[in-house]
Amino acid sequence: MIQYLFIGLILIGIYGLLTQKNLIKLVVALNVLEVGVNLFIISTGYVKDGVAPILFKGVPSTNGTFVDPLPQALVLTAIVIGVGVTALALTVVRKIYEKHGTLNLDEMGSESDD
Amino acid sequence: MINPVLLIAIPLLFAFLSVMFKKADKGLLVLAVLFNVLAAFLLKETEVVIGGWKPPFGINLIADQYSIFGLIILNTVFALSVFSSFSSVKKYSTVLLVSLAALNGMMLTGDLFNLFVFLEIASISAYILSTMTKKFKGTFNYIILGALGSNLYLLGIIILYSTVGTLNMADMASKIHLVNNNVLLLALTFIFAGFAVEAKLMPFNGWVKGVYGNANDLSGGIFASAYATAAIMMFGRIFTNIFVLDGTLKTIFLTITVLTFILGEIAAFSQKNIRSTLAFSSVGQAGLIATLFLSGLSGVAMMQVANHALAKLVMFTIAGAMYVYAGTDNIEKLQGLFKKHKLIGFGFSVAALSLVGLPIFYGFYVKIFALSNLFKINSYWIPALILFSSLIEGIYYIRMLAKLWNPGEEGKESKDEYTTKLSLENTFAYAVLAVVVGLFILYISYNPEFITQGISNYLSNIAGGM
Repeated sequence: MIQYLFIGLILIGIYGLLTQKNLIKLVVALNVLEVGVNLFIISTGYVKDGVAPILFKGVPSTNGTFVDPLPQALVLTAIVIGVGVTALALTVVRKIYEKHGTLNLDEMGSESDD
Repeated sequence: MINPVLLIAIPLLFAFLSVMFKKADKGLLVLAVLFNVLAAFLLKETEVVIGGWKPPFGINLIADQYSIFGLIILNTVFALSVFSSFSSVKKYSTVLLVSLAALNGMMLTGDLFNLFVFLEIASISAYILSTMTKKFKGTFNYIILGALGSNLYLLGIIILYSTVGTLNMADMASKIHLVNNNVLLLALTFIFAGFAVEAKLMPFNGWVKGVYGNANDLSGGIFASAYATAAIMMFGRIFTNIFVLDGTLKTIFLTITVLTFILGEIAAFSQKNIRSTLAFSSVGQAGLIATLFLSGLSGVAMMQVANHALAKLVMFTIAGAMYVYAGTDNIEKLQGLFKKHKLIGFGFSVAALSLVGLPIFYGFYVKIFALSNLFKINSYWIPALILFSSLIEGIYYIRMLAKLWNPGEEGKESKDEYTTKLSLENTFAYAVLAVVVGLFILYISYNPEFITQGISNYLSNIAGGM
């Protein structure tokens, strides 16, 4: 059931991307979307009554149910990429602010040469 | 025998080295680019397992005819672009090396998640390359759309992973028939949307004008040829080798790609600047190639990929050079420019006419081949729309060439006094690029086997020749 919450987060992110005019808010919306996707991926690996997929010596592997470790590994990669993109986006936002003096998309003019 | 891992590892290693040895960064760039061209030509069909985990559990690299063909084009156009616009490289050597590694990785990988990682590395390098001309608004637009696209792609492959339990491409292709139709519809829509951003298909190509339309000689050449090739080839890999579409979904996707072609060409028709025209022409061509892939004509699509990459490399590099050295790329302000630079004009004209598909040029061969084969698979409205869009394409390219060669008012005698005062500098490199690629396009126009022998597997299932 909790997956609906994460899908909700993804939809909030998309809503934010479509409606916001402020550049920082756009980056925030993108992050909300990314968090939603990451949580959704984690949730697909969940197994009821599963334990962490680590084998100890001497500890019996309960009844053989482990959660799927692959989605966690994927999310780790996706988080790193998300941080990189966010940092780059914020750098570009700062450059835009230096050039146009505003963060609102409506207030800045066109940037073509003619 | 060259291990395909080196195609990714060498540029990546040199990228790290270029951070440490700042003085030698351009030398490292040249070395890596030359190595990659050589390695792409020497590469034999093979499959490499990474890290000792056998597929489908681990990641593997696939070098088949398809990826080798893509790698040869990709690395060649990348090298030509870097060499001809070497004065624009400046401090971007590291980024160029990373993007070279990522583009090679995209072509080679046999794993859907690994493809996502390479796609992200390639697009992050693209974001940085697009800041070369200091047009940050276009870059920001690209970042938002690109990140949204990659997240949708990730969501799509995760839905498939939680259904069939694999991320390996070959394994996925063999198990895809087990997936419920509704789940498949959802996942494929996400994957298509994700790829449509990079491949410039219609509802997701709002960034193209801001990025391509503001490119300089180096970033224009690399975006329009190397990036476009990698993106559209991966689109083809996913939607012809792994997921074979049929039914309603195929009709919907085909409608989108055909509309991309038509609307891209119509948008290009109404542009006044050369780079904006070329940007929308790239959108249109992406739509054409994607249509051919989705129709099942992979071999023809690959021939058009080669045609498009070579033509756009020349045209975008020259248009970027016009912006860098003449300060504008407005067609009206540049009329008669090619009278001053005849060799550059020769290459530009050959590239444009080949892209349009005029007889005696390579593009004509490709388009006739495509149309006759589309008729053979009993499709009538797609060839009709392709012909209609090619007509629009022909009109604006020939109008552009006429202006650039003949200064003067439309409908009146052209006079030398209308010739622009602006001119290009550093023309030797551009002239060499234009002549080499122009002559190569003319060569393959008469010897199309030069291209087709490398992709025989993908042409053999297409009945008949010309």
